[in-house]
Amino acid sequence: MIKLYDYELSGNCYKVRLMLSMLSIQYTSETVEFYPAQEHKSPWFRKINPLGTLPVLVDNNLALKDSAAILVYLASRYAENTSWYPSYDPARLAQVIEWLAFADQLTGSASQARLAEGFFYQIDADTCRKKAHQLFRLLDEHIWFAEQQDQPWLVEGNDPTIADIACFPYIILSEEGSIMRQDYPAIRRWTDRVKRLPGFTVMPGVFPAGPAQ
Amino acid sequence: MSTYLQKAKRQWHPIAASTDLVPRHVYHAQLAGRELAVWRADDGHVNVWENRCLHRGVRLSIGINDGRELVCQYHGWRYANRTAGCTYIPAHPADAPARTICNNQYAVIEQNGLIWSSEADDQPELPVVNFRAGENLVLRAMPINATADLVLAELIQDINKDEHCKDRVIEQDSFALSMLLVGNNTHLQINYFIQPVDSNRVVVRAVLSGLPNDANTAYKLQTLREHNEILKQVQECAEKQMEALETPLPWEPVIRLVSEKLSYMPELSAQGHSLLRVTVSDIRDTATAIKAVELTAIEGQLPTFQPGAHIDLHLSNGMIRQYSLANATGQTDRYIIGVKRELVSTGGSAYIHETLRIGDVVAVSVPRNNFPMRRDAVKTLLIAGGIGITPMLSMAQALHHSSMPFELHYFVQGNDHLAFKDILETFSSSLIVHSALDSAQTQLELKNILSFYNSAHHVYVCGPGPMLDVARTIAQSHSWPDDAVHFEYFKNTQTQDDSVPFEVSLSRSGLTLQVPSGKSLLEVLRENDIDLPSSCEQGACGTCKVTVTAGELLHQDVYLSETEKQRGDCMMTCVSRAKSKSLTIDI
Repeated sequence: MIKLYDYELSGNCYKVRLMLSMLSIQYTSETVEFYPAQEHKSPWFRKINPLGTLPVLVDNNLALKDSAAILVYLASRYAENTSWYPSYDPARLAQVIEWLAFADQLTGSASQARLAEGFFYQIDADTCRKKAHQLFRLLDEHIWFAEQQDQPWLVEGNDPTIADIACFPYIILSEEGSIMRQDYPAIRRWTDRVKRLPGFTVMPGVFPAGPAQ
Repeated sequence: MSTYLQKAKRQWHPIAASTDLVPRHVYHAQLAGRELAVWRADDGHVNVWENRCLHRGVRLSIGINDGRELVCQYHGWRYANRTAGCTYIPAHPADAPARTICNNQYAVIEQNGLIWSSEADDQPELPVVNFRAGENLVLRAMPINATADLVLAELIQDINKDEHCKDRVIEQDSFALSMLLVGNNTHLQINYFIQPVDSNRVVVRAVLSGLPNDANTAYKLQTLREHNEILKQVQECAEKQMEALETPLPWEPVIRLVSEKLSYMPELSAQGHSLLRVTVSDIRDTATAIKAVELTAIEGQLPTFQPGAHIDLHLSNGMIRQYSLANATGQTDRYIIGVKRELVSTGGSAYIHETLRIGDVVAVSVPRNNFPMRRDAVKTLLIAGGIGITPMLSMAQALHHSSMPFELHYFVQGNDHLAFKDILETFSSSLIVHSALDSAQTQLELKNILSFYNSAHHVYVCGPGPMLDVARTIAQSHSWPDDAVHFEYFKNTQTQDDSVPFEVSLSRSGLTLQVPSGKSLLEVLRENDIDLPSSCEQGACGTCKVTVTAGELLHQDVYLSETEKQRGDCMMTCVSRAKSKSLTIDI
């Protein structure tokens, strides 16, 4: 069975839990205490992941150490709906990769502000917030124009992709880093849509959406 | 307060685009420093509320819009569409929330593709905005972290830079700017509105008018993109200039306390009712001898109700009758009642059936709920006999809308007696009709329905007295606990004994009064200027309940359960009396 080295409050781990849940994949998980024990930097965990980062997903002999890589793997290997990772469509596939890179920028900004506020990391939170707002502005504009064309997701097409899953956690958790989403109405609507995907699951700080009309 | 802020508060501002308010979404807006939760109910009504739950102050913009009510994420308090009144508090599942729990709401107008609001007390006119003939296009709103005057100046300057357009400012004030855009073949007009979000934040909203009627989607998209680029430039320049300036202090909105109308105890009329005037907006036959009557407010909004609530209807022939509301939750634009023509009418139902007309004005009490419904039951059984269907309709619609498991058993004399078929159809899979049964068959059916009690199941029964008596006995013999069996009688048919006089001490008022034979405690209290709300005055509705701290009681009502009667800590002042020589009540 698939095993996830997991930390409940990690947005990157949440990406994987979301994907596993939406694809109805059974798995076991082992908690790695990121804070305050810093178990992800411990010798035993570095044997599993020399980078000392979370999450890690182990499927048989394969150990994957990056949330984006794990999403690609799960969607390609287990999804019945191939549009989660549209490898058959070069244009859409490339856009997915673009958004995975964007998600990493969110990890470098919105997530960092949250680490500073919630986990007492010595990080310049103001700079992180400024960067996050720049990204949120770009994202809101992108989604607003997508909505004008009846496109509900980050990548064009009727179905969500792993890009939506990769970007969702650190956006929905942004307020824990004092990044308000009031100025981003299109982002707020998109988060409602993600929350209404079948198999959506919550984590601390993330609330479920009500049923659609 | 700065004069600028005062000016901002006096007028209407756009706070969202119509298209921002998608179904089942809560939009987060802000105007003049005040945060707003803005949501469109399934019936299309737009609610603009203070963005805080009255319970713990959590933002309602992260709440759930269920189409009829807004639910706070923190402790699940529910607020009704239109009235903003609290309809349910999960921590007190068996009680109806107090009328005073009502969120602040602000004026709203939807016009020209924008949602407008204002917090001025004396509502100013919506500014007359001229748009060019042809199609309108609402541009993407641009939030800018700068003061309004800086943004306004930047807008004018930036647009004048464009050499291809001969721009002409038509009109301009502190919050709006209209320009004519004369291009090669186009005559467009753009109306900018500066939404004052806070002292140093605005949202620029704009409507482009005069588009050719045959403008295609690609053209519109292109236009939207072009203007978005212009506004992004304005955003960049204004924010850059703002960096050099001192950031003004944010505006501190004053959160209004509960409105005065709600905070004082309702003024009591001679009968102890607070009345409001309503118009009869519809009367129609809904079944044999049953009329559906709809009542709408003459001005303002009807007060909040919850499933199970009733109103007193004051008829112009002087009669007062109680009717349960059949409304769905959030259906707050009218009250819907069902009136059965009684064979031996004492004047109430006959008057409604024969004399009352559409357009008549009648008085009603505020809704009172002595039959509240829990929304935490594992399963809810609703049992209605005849016209007892009305409160069940409200309950069933609420349960159905929240996808909570329930069954509605509707006992009728025949299929032509099925009332409100249009409403029944909305939850037909949970409806079981028992038609034309005699009393033995009815008893057998009730036994089937109530044969098993499971933990956290609740049953609600409303119908004729004999049917209720049977249902309650069956429930008791099948181990239903008293607090899981909820009932509402139409009237109290028990024989009343008011022969024995007694003394009553009012512990809080410090009075001792004598209740003689032939007079009720309620009457004696009234004679001594102690007004207590009451409704049916025959021990059926539960309105005149008081807490009893000492004395033995002679209960003569049909409202309290056996457990409550045995506990002896409350009584219905309209019919119940003392067995002991004296009583002490907590008023």
